[in-house]
Amino acid sequence: MTARESILQAVRAARPAATPLPDVRAAAGGFPPAAGDVVARFREVARATGVTVLEGARREAADLVARAYPDASRIVSVSTHLAGTVPVESASRELADIDLFVCEAVLGVAENGAVWLPASRLGRRAAAFLAPDVVVLLDRAAVVADLHQAYERLDLAAESFGVFVAGPSKTADIEQSLVIGAHGPKSLTLILFGAVGS
Amino acid sequence: MSANQRPALPVLTHRGLPGRAERVDHARAAALFNADEARTDWHDGALWFAREKRDLAAAAVAEWEALRELASAIKEHTLSHLDEYLLAFEERALANGVRVHWAADAEEHNRIVYGILERAGSSRLVKSKSMLTEECNLNPYLEARGIEVIDTDLGERIIQLRREPPSHIVAPAIHLTKEDVGATFHEHLGTEAGLADPVALAAAARAHLRDRFLAADAALTGVNFAVAQTGALVVCTNEGNADLGAALAPVHIASMGIEKLIPRFDDLAVFLRLLARSATGQPVTVYTSHFQRPEEGQELHVVLVDNGRSRQLGRAAFWRSLKCIRCGACLNTCPVYRRSGGHSYGSTLPGPIGSVLTPGIDLERYAALPFASTLCGSCTAVCPVKIDLDAQLLHWRQLVTEAGHAGRVKALIVNATQLVLGRPWLFRLAGGVGRRVLRLLPRRISRLAAGPWGEARDLPRPPAQSFREWYRQNRPGASRSRRAP
Repeated sequence: MTARESILQAVRAARPAATPLPDVRAAAGGFPPAAGDVVARFREVARATGVTVLEGARREAADLVARAYPDASRIVSVSTHLAGTVPVESASRELADIDLFVCEAVLGVAENGAVWLPASRLGRRAAAFLAPDVVVLLDRAAVVADLHQAYERLDLAAESFGVFVAGPSKTADIEQSLVIGAHGPKSLTLILFGAVGS
Repeated sequence: MSANQRPALPVLTHRGLPGRAERVDHARAAALFNADEARTDWHDGALWFAREKRDLAAAAVAEWEALRELASAIKEHTLSHLDEYLLAFEERALANGVRVHWAADAEEHNRIVYGILERAGSSRLVKSKSMLTEECNLNPYLEARGIEVIDTDLGERIIQLRREPPSHIVAPAIHLTKEDVGATFHEHLGTEAGLADPVALAAAARAHLRDRFLAADAALTGVNFAVAQTGALVVCTNEGNADLGAALAPVHIASMGIEKLIPRFDDLAVFLRLLARSATGQPVTVYTSHFQRPEEGQELHVVLVDNGRSRQLGRAAFWRSLKCIRCGACLNTCPVYRRSGGHSYGSTLPGPIGSVLTPGIDLERYAALPFASTLCGSCTAVCPVKIDLDAQLLHWRQLVTEAGHAGRVKALIVNATQLVLGRPWLFRLAGGVGRRVLRLLPRRISRLAAGPWGEARDLPRPPAQSFREWYRQNRPGASRSRRAP
């Protein structure tokens, strides 16, 4: 008997009495809505995770980035609003010493300050984790209240990969001291664009 | 005594696990840990800090209790249909181009991982955190076969360099001070002697590991959740190490216990809202990565591991322990864990959840663990998936005693208690004798009657009369008046 068969057989023999699967969407629909403007909450929580939040128009992205990261010269950009200097499809070794990675998020989540970045928005996904600094563009209209709303909108079927990113990489493994910039990016800047107030 | 003069903590040999036949002696290991009182206090405080952060995060979510109910119900449903969800997951994963492997036990898991590496010609493996590979003892298995294994989570790397097991499932090096880490990095990474600044130490580790990430030809990650509906593998980290490894290496192996399945993509919201808040008080981990299919030119493997889980599923009193999502909240809140340290449990998983899962692997060897608890129930109160940890601990105690593994003193106490409490006349007699004798004896001797509790405590002075005597004197006719109102 293969391991697969033996495991399935053992699991079948051990199954506890069946219990029902709760309706998560219905339950989440009944949760009390958080007070206040969803974008304002997103901004506040994102800042608490160590994110720098900039406000602007989409067409100003290049200027905002240049001002925020004046010394960045090796830039990988997956955004159409900013030209990169290193090709998105570069080999890992080439990506290892880039200064900046720029991309556009699909949505943001107010309750935890995270942005959703699927593979189609990342190019070669290694760049997003190798770059010391990352800039993410996000439309204010794409901010949802919580993860329930986020997962209802997300479609991973067409993607190889997708990641929620909430702030720069960090660790507290040495005496619980928070250190920003563990293995991944040391800074994350969000540029919020689009109509204010929705 | 300053922190860097503190003696090293006693550490069990070979990644913490005692020899096969050796029984874990939690009380003895805890006494060794407690020998350094200042350090014990520091450890206690560090864990309690995490508990406080968890409380703040939980209180900020109005629907917290509803989320716990949902999470518990989803997990119980999944476990009660686990064979169906395993098959559904396998089908989706295969359709996504993921290679699916099944391992009945730890040995088979290790063989599969090595086989994948061998076929791919990989010899440099970077790992992100995986308690499962600790459970399977994967590292020594691979190292004996010429594979370089680098743990990349900062805490795991620290303890790997020190050749210690993790002492906590979320913060593997929580038992170490920054001075300890400084000494370890000085020895292994060549940092300046005496360096104890967490920022500088983390920077040194980042530089050291960056080269390993770029040189690796395989990456192994754990799995927090596997979605049966879509085949997605979800991994949560703060450091970005799982993503760096998986994005750079041509081979990605994800190892998971079969209990990690959840039915639907939307269910992730429930668990992700609970996980980081319960673990560290963060609203979510920095990275929540969803691996759906391999990138072009990459292999993505998932290894589904049983290793005793199906046995635990068949235990009516204990199957709910498989709901665990490994947040560590029960460790942080446990008064015994906080003051005895993770290594004292001698098992891969320490703390209340470890003491519930581990006796099922070897009851005799881990007989002490269900007793490493005050049964205060704090673990159950904070558990995000509502595992009845204290009830399960109590139940294991009964099984341990029935099987004759409780030890002579514990068995004697239990039997004597049963004898006395079962006979009211004997109870009254024993109480009367005790009150008189304990009052006459000097304190130094009388407190021996309290057993190990007396080591750090004085018994209160015995009262002159028993409650029964007092009641008779002060409430004459009380029982009659209750009967005839």
